[in-house]
Amino acid sequence: MAIKAVSSLVVIVTGASGGVGRGIALACAALGHTVWIAARREAEGTAVAEEVNAAGGRGRFVACDTADESSVRDAIAAVLARDGRLDAVVHNATSGESPKPVPLQTLPLADFRSHVGVSLGGSWLLACAAHKALRESRGHFVLLTSEAGFEGKRLLPAYAAVKAAQRGFARALAREWGADGITVNSVAPLAMTPAMDRAFVMDPAMEKRVKSRIPIGRVGDPVGDIGPVVAALLSPGMGYLTGNTLMVDGGSCPIS
Amino acid sequence: MSSTLLIGSDNKDVRDFGATLDAELLALPPVSDKGGWDWAAELETWRDRENSGQQFSRIVVAAWAEHLTAGPAIGLDPRGWESRAEQPLARWAVALGCAVSRCAGGGSIVAVVEGPTALECAGWAPETAVAEGVRALTRSLALSEGARGVRVNTVSTPARFPLVELVHPAPPLATFPGRLDHEVAGAVRMLLSPDAVGVTGGIVHADAGRAWR
Repeated sequence: MAIKAVSSLVVIVTGASGGVGRGIALACAALGHTVWIAARREAEGTAVAEEVNAAGGRGRFVACDTADESSVRDAIAAVLARDGRLDAVVHNATSGESPKPVPLQTLPLADFRSHVGVSLGGSWLLACAAHKALRESRGHFVLLTSEAGFEGKRLLPAYAAVKAAQRGFARALAREWGADGITVNSVAPLAMTPAMDRAFVMDPAMEKRVKSRIPIGRVGDPVGDIGPVVAALLSPGMGYLTGNTLMVDGGSCPIS
Repeated sequence: MSSTLLIGSDNKDVRDFGATLDAELLALPPVSDKGGWDWAAELETWRDRENSGQQFSRIVVAAWAEHLTAGPAIGLDPRGWESRAEQPLARWAVALGCAVSRCAGGGSIVAVVEGPTALECAGWAPETAVAEGVRALTRSLALSEGARGVRVNTVSTPARFPLVELVHPAPPLATFPGRLDHEVAGAVRMLLSPDAVGVTGGIVHADAGRAWR
């Protein structure tokens, strides 16, 4: 069967006010999609929505804290109220604690709650809120994980744990949702983001370490390298790809 | 006195497993039925008390759930999600942090994580998430503790999971899903032993060949 041409989709991207989320939003915009920028920061999120408009899509902002049940439910309801359908959920948001190095022995559980709530809990809340709409559209559910979730991180064990946990959640959800025609996948990007910038500042040797192990020879660009892969996952012809983690890291991670 | 410390939940399966390994049990606080992370303070208090103390060269961690019940992820209420995903992952994080604090230089830590196999994980999304999270925690600790010669590995087992439906083809060994006191304990002993001196950050699937990587 021939692959159908890409038609305009309605997509919600969490944590899209910057970094990888913005890259995904702009890649979807280039395909003419309606992109909901779901983020806590309204000014930054609205600015990305305007970039989506300029890039050929329809950008909309919706306030969303993925660790908060009512906030997630309201965000999905806002999408359905305005656009009448939802074709894809892309959960990219991570906790502000993500780049902070803390040994596991002394990790404050309040910090761990933030990690777990935004990444893993947010995955579950989005799944609950969006399942009915995604079943109707036979849509896509994508979780942004990390190579840290495969190989661990010496200084960021909590971040590595929740990123891995998201991958496990996606694997099981793919089996639960397959009969509904919904694909569930994870994407593990390695990209220059504000969080990566901060991590490089906190650990100056990290930049050299990171770059030295990437066969492609550079850290990925959210717009040019990561966004298009996620946008492709949402395209027609991708309905048979589920339960996977795509490593979009220039070949950096030794585990696949 | 035993030279192996078992940090784990205070339930019959863990106690029996500790007896099999001839290990001294350091029990985690009971699993809480509170919501909203109201159990976190008790875990931190426990950690503050237990992170210091006698050092061991062999530590096993088994923060196993009290009960395992399958169900669709989106059929859970927030309390159910917290009790099946968030509290277990936090208990593992605290238990593994304690293991690092109590492990002597040159020692070995083995996390025995319970998780459904990839083919049979439908209905077990929270538990699958926790198991992957624990594997990443142990790999992180292998990276951070290697400098002092401490090895950190994982044994993964589906032995405690009630089988909802066996997906075909059947696992290579008829002994699937394996027994805690036999296949799983054997894998743990192997990783604790000096014979495994070059093995760290590894995941051994004691599952009769169900997981092939």
